[in-house]
Amino acid sequence: MSQNGQVRTGVYICHCGVNIAQTVDCAAVRDHAARQPNVVVARDYKFMCSDPGQQMIRDDIQNHKLDRVVVAACSPQMHELTFRHACEEAGLNRYLFQMANIREQCAWIHQNRAQATEKAKALVGGAVRRVTWHRPLEPRVEQVNPNVLVVGAGIGGIQAALEMAEAGREVYLVERESTIGGQMAKFDKTFPTLDCASCILTPKMVSVSHRKNIHLLTLSEVTRVDGYIGNFTATIQTRPRYVTDRCTACGECVKVCPVSVPNWFDEFRSTRTAIYKSFPQAVPNSFLIDKQDRPPCKEACPIGQEASGYIALIRAGKFAEAIRLIRQKNPLPAVCGRVCYHPCEGQCNRGYVDKPLAIQYLKRFAADWEMAHASEIEPPVPAEKHEEPVAIVGSGPAGLACAHDLALAGYPVTIFEALPVAGGMLAVGVPEYRLPKQLVNFEIDYIRRMGVDILTDRRLGRDFTLPQLFGQGFKAVFVATGAHQGLGLGAPGEEAAGIVQGLEFLRITKCAAPMAVGKRVAVVGGGNTAIDCARTALRLGAEVTILYRRSRDEMPALPEEIADAEDEGVVIRYLTAPVGVVQQDGRMRALRCVQMELGEPDASGRRRPIPVAGSEFEMKFDTVLLAIGQRPDLDLAAAAAAGINQARNGTLKVHAETLETGMPGVFAGGDACLGPATVIEAMGMGKRAAESIGKYLRGEPLEHYTTQMVSPGYRRPESCRPHAYAPLYKDTERRERVPMPKLAAAERKTDSREVDLGYSEEEAVREASRCLNCGLCVECLECVRVCEPGAVDHSMIPESIQVQVGQILLATGYRLLDASPMVHYGYGRLENVRTALEFERMLSSTGPTGGKILLENGEEPRAIAVIHCVGSRDENYCRYCSRVCCMYALKFAHLVKDRTHAEVYNFYIDMRAFGKGYEEFYSRVLDEGMNLIRGKVAEVVRASRSLREAGHLLVRCEDTLIGRFREVPVDMVVLCNAMQPQRDVEAVQRVFGISRSPDGFFLERHPKLDPVATTTDGVFIAGCAQGPKDIPDTVAQASAAAARMLATISKGVVEIDPVRAEIDERYCSGCRICNNLCPYSAIEYVEDQNVSRVNAALCKGCGTCVAACPAGAITGYGFTDQQIDAELEGVLGV
Amino acid sequence: MTDDQQRFEPRIVGFLCNWCAYSGADLAGVSRLQSAPNVRILRVMCSGRVDPSFVFRAFQLGADGVLIAGCHPGDCHYQEGNHKALRRVLLLKRILRGFGVDEHRVRLEWISASEGEKFARVSTEFTEEIRSLGPLPLENGRLLHLPADEPSPVLAEVAG
Repeated sequence: MSQNGQVRTGVYICHCGVNIAQTVDCAAVRDHAARQPNVVVARDYKFMCSDPGQQMIRDDIQNHKLDRVVVAACSPQMHELTFRHACEEAGLNRYLFQMANIREQCAWIHQNRAQATEKAKALVGGAVRRVTWHRPLEPRVEQVNPNVLVVGAGIGGIQAALEMAEAGREVYLVERESTIGGQMAKFDKTFPTLDCASCILTPKMVSVSHRKNIHLLTLSEVTRVDGYIGNFTATIQTRPRYVTDRCTACGECVKVCPVSVPNWFDEFRSTRTAIYKSFPQAVPNSFLIDKQDRPPCKEACPIGQEASGYIALIRAGKFAEAIRLIRQKNPLPAVCGRVCYHPCEGQCNRGYVDKPLAIQYLKRFAADWEMAHASEIEPPVPAEKHEEPVAIVGSGPAGLACAHDLALAGYPVTIFEALPVAGGMLAVGVPEYRLPKQLVNFEIDYIRRMGVDILTDRRLGRDFTLPQLFGQGFKAVFVATGAHQGLGLGAPGEEAAGIVQGLEFLRITKCAAPMAVGKRVAVVGGGNTAIDCARTALRLGAEVTILYRRSRDEMPALPEEIADAEDEGVVIRYLTAPVGVVQQDGRMRALRCVQMELGEPDASGRRRPIPVAGSEFEMKFDTVLLAIGQRPDLDLAAAAAAGINQARNGTLKVHAETLETGMPGVFAGGDACLGPATVIEAMGMGKRAAESIGKYLRGEPLEHYTTQMVSPGYRRPESCRPHAYAPLYKDTERRERVPMPKLAAAERKTDSREVDLGYSEEEAVREASRCLNCGLCVECLECVRVCEPGAVDHSMIPESIQVQVGQILLATGYRLLDASPMVHYGYGRLENVRTALEFERMLSSTGPTGGKILLENGEEPRAIAVIHCVGSRDENYCRYCSRVCCMYALKFAHLVKDRTHAEVYNFYIDMRAFGKGYEEFYSRVLDEGMNLIRGKVAEVVRASRSLREAGHLLVRCEDTLIGRFREVPVDMVVLCNAMQPQRDVEAVQRVFGISRSPDGFFLERHPKLDPVATTTDGVFIAGCAQGPKDIPDTVAQASAAAARMLATISKGVVEIDPVRAEIDERYCSGCRICNNLCPYSAIEYVEDQNVSRVNAALCKGCGTCVAACPAGAITGYGFTDQQIDAELEGVLGV
Repeated sequence: MTDDQQRFEPRIVGFLCNWCAYSGADLAGVSRLQSAPNVRILRVMCSGRVDPSFVFRAFQLGADGVLIAGCHPGDCHYQEGNHKALRRVLLLKRILRGFGVDEHRVRLEWISASEGEKFARVSTEFTEEIRSLGPLPLENGRLLHLPADEPSPVLAEVAG
């Protein structure tokens, strides 16, 4: 490697007092340096960083015309900047300088003087050779964005924000909790002055809320930071508060909220409602709603009904509010309460404990209560009125739900119904004993009263066509004609008299006169229709046999229906299928059947039935009712031409989300699209169609729907508890599900009275109280009802914003060590063992006891023990001292003596009273008569001999001052838990790109001289995030950080080292290997020149591309290949 | 250990990334954690800057071992430079095997700014490992031939 011509290098070996000189022979290193190539001056000196030391360099640059300088001293992270500036002051470009680290990485870590000196010589040799390849560079000068971001709004964040706002800067203050104030807001009094914490904190909190230039973002976290000092882009996610800023904090909502959970602010020692404010002086002064995971009952419901909401209202005895809530989404509550297949119950988390909630029965209870107490309920008045009329074909549940929602939105609706009665399957398919006609009519009348016209005896195809509807002036059509055609057996002879479609039988019996079916009736099929047919035929006096070709496990009918049928005397023959009809004179006499066995599963997942050869037999029947499947009975011959597609089974094809058919303006839903499905799914599609039609008519894009339309395959996520504050399922007390009272089986056969009788009020409340409140907020919407300013908004969603700032301050605070693993202290196991924060809350007048010091049983303690160093100064937990505990322990002792007659025992190891006024406070408290015992507590045990005896606690320790073992009886123990970094400190560290020290707190640039800066320029730390400290020190650091940030802002610019990559286009072959390596996408490919090019503004100088370029075409300024090669030569040359 | 090996002082070069590993090494110094004096450190901004040819060059110039230390995966100051370092070192080791150089002469470690103790421990351990491997058999920049009765590792690599 050739040397670089005329370079003149000066080398300076620092003794650093004795730090280096004690181990390294500086004179020998100097002499070695003097012999290196290009070195014209070599000196050693005691303190190179001092003024005379730097002057030496400056003088030599002038006098010896040096154009390169090497200093062998401490770490470049310490003083590279210092010496670069010294060079610059003497007129030498600051980047023509190199440091060799012979202190931290040599003198301080080796003891053998000879070896350390050899190593130092090698390092100096490396630096000398490297620096010859340095070139003059200019730092990048960037503007500094004057805005700042402060993360964490405890006393540290608040202080810094106020100071910067005072100086006129825009401050984004981000806080994770719902209120600012941090841990200090929880304290009662502060040492040593015994100021009330709230009194000194709340004025600052209020200032924050008043300052226009502090943009306060609570319930927010910074999730991403891009950029560099002066130019950061921070992405902030905000969780929804569900309460807007119209909230006046009147508290009316709290009175009606039925949910109660442990209160985080009181360290979980008191409860709060789902809508709450953390504490009375919270800033922002607004309530918020705690919503956790969406409850599975709501998620599983095809119309998104808030089951947990109305169940909570029933539990609270608010039946009118319950039915009102149900009706907001569901226009057919009495119907659903009787015939819905309740997918909600299938996903109910209570099923993990014992049996799912009887959600359907509770809905029925609410609907029945309404009918009994309000003869006519008035439908709500629509908010808007629209002109465009909509036609709906079919008055089944899909059509009715669609009509209801459209009418509510203000559209004129007309329903065309083919049958003489309205209601679809509700009127003609479900038997009277399950769904009385009178009920269905009651619900349909409600919809009529909304202004919906229902025209009966109008069949699509026979009486009108779809184009004709448009011709009549309708602007949109919803086709919901159902699936009323039963499937045939496909067996010879089935056209004989006596073989009747089950649907036809049900319709005629319910709407006209009971059909004559004879004595012996067979029902073929295993679904709900088959069961309905069987039980209806039974009530006409027949003996009924159900023939089903699979086994009971595969029967699709609801289990409770099958059970009811069997109770009433219906015989079910499994694994039996008819294969032919024996007829005489055109009339059926018997069925020829065959035994089946189950083979492999078919497409539906159920095992395929296979006939057993040679097992044919005959069964005599008078009537056979077929209930083996349904299809739409639409004849839309012209429909295909109009654009409506039908599938092979006759169902209509629609767009999965918008429910559009191929014909413009025509939507479809319900059984007509799904095939034989369920009432609630049909309603779900009807409601979705209403929303779709509304958007269509208003010319809006058909997207972003608010109506839910859930597929039957929904499965709740796995969980072990319903929400974060609830006990585990396995720890929840088991309770019987309240059974539905039924008509006695013997009584049922004689008429068509409803078999299910419905819950009484007491039964309903009892069943409702089994609900686990999975979503925490149950969305009962009571808070919406009582909020006068209308501030509650359950539809709020999380938001994400990006802010541009120049600098960032992290003041994210601490948490207390969880003492549960320390079983010898009994926290979480013994009564009356508290952490310091729990005790603070107890002392506070806004806390769970109103400021009284009380035991769990409500009595006053006779003696309290305060245990210092719980987890601090402990090899097994935190090796450091948490700094504040001794002082607050003394504070506790004083307050206990002040408010009670109790004795106080403080168990300490060393007493740390280091601050201003602290020692004086210590003396004062001693004089008040507290007991101090020097000894680390070994264990806390119950004094009673058995668990049944109520007793006090015993604290056992060695009193080291008298050298004796002691057992001190107390009623309450307060632990001084160690202060630890926040739980997510690792994730936060990565977002901001800073390091942590070995104790886990954020790492400062220098522990003595630079405690608020980090090695990442532009990111500062303050307060307990940097290490345990008390409030005065936190405030001091916050002010220091604010001052530093303001200083940079007032400079207006920052200089950034020009460590970056540049591609020499002469050597670039356009291979583009570098393009994808750059994490900042700073390399672009210039197509027309077939070269890659680095965007200097984006490049951060990591050097990854430099190393990867196969042609060596990329220069990494400051760390070039030649420089590193030269350094290697020097370092290995000795 | 022969007498030769007892007198043999390994020469080890360390490439340490500025943000984590170099700070970790400084922390070891500040904490006065003593370690073997055989490791000579070169500072780079990121372990991703380390070109595998640096490693070859180091061996050529007389190093017996090379240590590359960067931030823990996920913590890289430049997002993923350390991932690239990992990929390269894996491939580098294969190539070294092909040259007949024991792959243990190159070591990749993740050392954070707070892991002073780890840096000290790794320095000393690596030094001892190289000491037991012996000096890199190099003369005039060429790898010395191996004893005749040992199969050529190059052949093994190609055949295997």
